[in-house]
Amino acid sequence: MALERRDLLAGTAALAAGSVLSAPAVHAQGAARTLIVAAPGAPEGFDGDALRPGTQETVTQVYEGLTRYGRVIRNGRPYLNPDVIEGHLAESWTTSPDGKTWVFRLRQGVRSPFGNELTAEDVEWSWAKSFAQRRTGAFIANVSNVTAVRARSRYEVEFTLSAPSMILLAALTLYVPGIYDSTEVKKHATAEDPWALRWMETNTAGFGAYHLESIRAGEQAVFVANRNYFREQPHFQRVIYRAVPSAASRVTLLRSGQVQWIHRPLLQQVAELRSAPRVKTEDSFGRAIASIRMNTTIAPFTDRRVRQAFNFAMDKQALIQGVFFGLAEQARSIVPPIVAGYDPSFFAYDYDPQRARALLQEANFDFNQQIDILYSQIFNWEEPLSIQVASQLQQIGVRARATRITDSDMRARGAPARQDMPIFSFEDGPIVLDPVYSNFLLTHSRGVSNRARFSNPQVDAAIDEARQSLDPARRIELMRTVQRIWMEEAPWILTAYPSVWEAMAPNIVGWCPHPDDHERWVDLRVG
Amino acid sequence: MSGAALPAARRGALPWWLRRVVGVSRRSPTLAIGAAILICFAVLAVIAPWIVPHDPVAANPRNVLASPGGAHLMGTDGNGMDVFSRVLAGAGWAFGIAIPAVLVGIAVGVPLGLYTGYKGGWADEIIMRVFDALRVFPSIILALAVVAAAGPSLFNVVLVIGLLDSPVFARVVRAEVLALRNSTFVESAIAAGNPTWRILFVHILPNAIQGAMAQSAVRAAWAVRISATLAFLGVGIQAPTPEWGAMIRQGAEYLVTGQWWVGIFPGIALILMVLGLNMLGDGLQDLLDPRRKAASK
Amino acid sequence: MPVGLLIARRVLLVVPLLAAILLFTFLLVRIGGQDPVGLLAGPTATQAEIEMIRSQLALDQPIWVQFGVYFGRVLQGDLGSSWLSNRPVLTDLLERAPATFELMFWGVLIGAGIGIPLGLRAAFRPDGPFDQTTRFLSLLGFSIPTYWLGLVMLFVFFFLLEWTPPGMGRLSLFLEPPPFVTGSYLIDGLLAAQWEVASSALSQLVLPVLCVAIISAAPIIKQTRAIALEVLSSDYIRYARAQGLPQGEVRRMALRNSATPVVTFVGTEITGLVGTTALIEYVFAWGGMGQYGLSAIIQNDFAAIQGYVLVLALFSVLVFLAVDIFVMLTEPRAGARA
Repeated sequence: MALERRDLLAGTAALAAGSVLSAPAVHAQGAARTLIVAAPGAPEGFDGDALRPGTQETVTQVYEGLTRYGRVIRNGRPYLNPDVIEGHLAESWTTSPDGKTWVFRLRQGVRSPFGNELTAEDVEWSWAKSFAQRRTGAFIANVSNVTAVRARSRYEVEFTLSAPSMILLAALTLYVPGIYDSTEVKKHATAEDPWALRWMETNTAGFGAYHLESIRAGEQAVFVANRNYFREQPHFQRVIYRAVPSAASRVTLLRSGQVQWIHRPLLQQVAELRSAPRVKTEDSFGRAIASIRMNTTIAPFTDRRVRQAFNFAMDKQALIQGVFFGLAEQARSIVPPIVAGYDPSFFAYDYDPQRARALLQEANFDFNQQIDILYSQIFNWEEPLSIQVASQLQQIGVRARATRITDSDMRARGAPARQDMPIFSFEDGPIVLDPVYSNFLLTHSRGVSNRARFSNPQVDAAIDEARQSLDPARRIELMRTVQRIWMEEAPWILTAYPSVWEAMAPNIVGWCPHPDDHERWVDLRVG
Repeated sequence: MSGAALPAARRGALPWWLRRVVGVSRRSPTLAIGAAILICFAVLAVIAPWIVPHDPVAANPRNVLASPGGAHLMGTDGNGMDVFSRVLAGAGWAFGIAIPAVLVGIAVGVPLGLYTGYKGGWADEIIMRVFDALRVFPSIILALAVVAAAGPSLFNVVLVIGLLDSPVFARVVRAEVLALRNSTFVESAIAAGNPTWRILFVHILPNAIQGAMAQSAVRAAWAVRISATLAFLGVGIQAPTPEWGAMIRQGAEYLVTGQWWVGIFPGIALILMVLGLNMLGDGLQDLLDPRRKAASK
Repeated sequence: MPVGLLIARRVLLVVPLLAAILLFTFLLVRIGGQDPVGLLAGPTATQAEIEMIRSQLALDQPIWVQFGVYFGRVLQGDLGSSWLSNRPVLTDLLERAPATFELMFWGVLIGAGIGIPLGLRAAFRPDGPFDQTTRFLSLLGFSIPTYWLGLVMLFVFFFLLEWTPPGMGRLSLFLEPPPFVTGSYLIDGLLAAQWEVASSALSQLVLPVLCVAIISAAPIIKQTRAIALEVLSSDYIRYARAQGLPQGEVRRMALRNSATPVVTFVGTEITGLVGTTALIEYVFAWGGMGQYGLSAIIQNDFAAIQGYVLVLALFSVLVFLAVDIFVMLTEPRAGARA
């Protein structure tokens, strides 16, 4: 059919028809195999400690860790095995008997695109940077109890911990604190900018599989394979990371073959995409929870009964249908289902609107007050979820309403310094598949993703003890305690863990889901 | 001129007001059609609460993005809300924004126009310069910037649109006042010792108001359009309020994935209502502007 | 007064006008009390970092000082930096200017190309069927929301019929822009004999230009018709008719006399079109100044908003000035119209 129309057009507008017809199908462009990725925006910086839009997606390709997870093949697809941690940039390691000193032996001959070899000094410098910035990297260090990192010899790095930690090895798989080619980076440091952060906004220098070749702000970033990569050269020698703001447009480009990879396609399109001939979709468990959070320090959410009532008032299956088109798992714990130690047994909030009303009355809830659920457009489920949650609350007599604020406002007001939103929507999830890490991130009073100021001394104590424990059984038990208390306190309206979907050209194989939800281009190939 | 007269046999059979309507319709079919469309919308807006098949703001997560047909004449949107009910309810919102906005424009613009036209002098100069300066902005950008900064409340939207309308009313009235200022009956009123405000409001205003009245329909059309644009950009009225622009905003996301009904139907309603208002305004201007009447002979 | 002096006077008045607009915008964007530091500092920033960034941007100074600093920089050509793109606003705007101008140029050209002849023909036989139809179409054009038109065009021509590429920018993703000559990818592509580029640019241009043309045609039709009617009923033409000049001659005279007011009108209409073009750019992800400005306003990017508004005002002022000069030069009888 389409061909006939194009023939018609050829007679009247040859040029236009020509360009539509010339849109190439999926192919390998000559010798340099190029992968074209369509993303919501071009990366705005490459400093893993200072996350900006597009940063996390790209620094994970450039900065690789001392360790990495093992892999398994299930149903022909590769998956990470969180129980197995192998050496990556580090070859091996030893621990002191008290568990507070670790020595990592670096692999030799690992070179960056600039030709510099990885040495312990690079690791020391990189961790010093994260400590100095006191942001995400410092948080990771804190979670793993790391207090100091120093180079012992050319290839040996010593980590000093304040207490033993079972999280350290998993934390070292992360992209942050990134391991930088400090020889190169230091060339761009200045007196006011000792860590070359300014240079990092538009450059990279890592030991990973890819390297930033060029960037056109707001439009695209081009990455090339690190020709000195210490493992096998990646299949895709070039990756064009292209900004396409509209989610619908990204799907369109994929379907027409003009891009080969899009991240998180719109859920309403996934069903359709699954049956589309020129598109392949693959999913993985979600590890981030989409939820409405209540600030326990702001009335009326200071009263636990109100928070519990809001949980009872939610028809969660309906929400999963209406917002996530069924492509999500109901949240029954603050710990994601794929993390060991996940315990759904404490979940007690099945849909019960009468109980919800009764609890509100018992708490002397003022039904006349306006409850504004704040949401932004950072995640595309926020608007429908907030509206539908408000609607369900209205059904039990609460004057609830969804109100939009700007993305920047949402981030600013959820930052530790402020945290002044009474009730709002957000998505967070652990990028380390460890229950202690999860809880430290989300439920500990000092957790970076604890945007609603939840604070419970028992929870804090349990997490702090678990962080230092090397007894797996004890850790699991402590985390069960945390999950139980958290469920009783109900600071969030628990909704769902949306599944993670990737959509790609049909001949691309090798996607291995990672806990940070970002594909690794080094894994992909045409097959 | 009484316009094309009805056949003599029928003349006595119709009541006087119907005769007027028919007469006006013949002179300006645009006006008639515009008025007819508008009356339909007004009626729908008023009876909407009783005739909507579903609650326009009741989310139904289990029936999201249903295609038109069956219980949902125009399908459902991304929250499971019935599009048809929302389109009907949207008429009420359109009037609810346009009427107050135009009233604000008149309330601010007409006195300004009267005063500056009558008094002249430096006040006139300054105010006209400010209006001229405002004209260098495309009005949508100005409205957008103000509402974005002030916040997306109904009050802000109405106020901003009304204030942006006022220069138009002011200019129209001012022109009339300038023409009337030196007429004999005004001069005699001054000679009779009437205070300024009396002259303005009792003598001049009734004659100057015609132009402004013709403008109101057009300004109302603009008000409906621009409030929809603001809502579409996410700056004005927000979801889940059943305002047509907000509905198109949500519909835009689904338009390119095949669920066309969410955005198309509110758009059609918007076009019809704005068209009706524009036709009404155009027809009124035709009737009231003697030059245009003469030219059309 | 000699024309040169008049022009000089107008040009001089531009500067305080722009300064006033700048001040107005500066104050306007700060009404809502938004705190931009949170966005810059990032989600994990400490209080100390926030304070540091705040003082770096001089956000802790009183508002007058801030404006003074900003105005001083503007005079030197520094419009500040966008918070969202982290680049100088001036650079952002200059990069995107060609896209906007190309869209507006083709759009107005085609819109006027449709609108003026229609308006003229309608005026020649007023109240006839052609006139009625044209007037109705014009009113319809006034009533269609710009963005909705763009969306529907995309839906019909791209999604349903697959005749045009998706609405995302000026060029297919695979192609690099041609060497810069005029800024128009189409023209530059043709000049550099890069046929694929030119053809892709053309196919991306079709829908947005069509939308701009349709929306801009509506007021052009209406005003052209009004002007032509006025000219046709003027004494000059009546006399010519009474003299027995043939219809064709009369029409040519009418055309000549309508030319100036019509051009004047189209010129002033362009300033109104800026808003329309911005909306079309937004819907088609065109990458022009309009999309940039709209996004900036929606997301409270102060410096970008101020820069964009300044550019808009400057543009409008220049257009008005050009129109006035045109009038002064072609109709000396109009005299000193200040």
